[in-house]
Amino acid sequence: MDEPLIYTTKGNVPVSSLTYQNEWMVNDDFIKFTERHLLDGEVVKESAHVYDRKGVLATGEAQSF
Amino acid sequence: MANTQAMCTSFKGELLVGHHNFGTGVVRGATTADTFKAALYLASATYNAATTAYSATGEVSGTNYTAGGVTVTNASAPATSGTTAYWTPSASFAWTTVTLSTSFDAGLLYNSTQSNKAVSVHTFGATTVTAGNFTLTMPTNDATTGLIRIA
Repeated sequence: MDEPLIYTTKGNVPVSSLTYQNEWMVNDDFIKFTERHLLDGEVVKESAHVYDRKGVLATGEAQSF
Repeated sequence: MANTQAMCTSFKGELLVGHHNFGTGVVRGATTADTFKAALYLASATYNAATTAYSATGEVSGTNYTAGGVTVTNASAPATSGTTAYWTPSASFAWTTVTLSTSFDAGLLYNSTQSNKAVSVHTFGATTVTAGNFTLTMPTNDATTGLIRIA
């Protein structure tokens, strides 16, 4: 069976030749998942996925006459 | 019974669909929803509450990124719950196989139908992408977490 390839800045390279890293950032506003593939220490593919946990809020207020 | 001073919830919702105009100079050309877009900005940029419109200044650039960003999918009409009006895009913002080497940390939602007027700025921490994907997944569309809320 052929070895899977992954698209990188170096073209399509075998997955087994890459070092995989991932990182999570979690706070009240968002959750971010970042994943990197390195080839000989160089980042050749990096993706990030952000989940916006809450949007922006404007507060309306009616003032007294 | 007693009267209670308040901003009417219906008004908050109607603001989101353009029913009220306290000023002058705005002519709506259609009854359809406007087109909204989302653009990404470098961490070194200064987009904030004072931002009035989309600008290419400070916008990210790189392979497979188109200036101006992506068109927002808008399949969900604004709604109200309790005393809050809210609206959230109905799909994630996605950039596929992009390379954005300079750190970016914010997205600007803006109205491309109405002269690219700014709606909101959303930050997500310093990020780079290399021959990969960047996705901004929307929050739950409700009065507590919706992307745009008027309470």
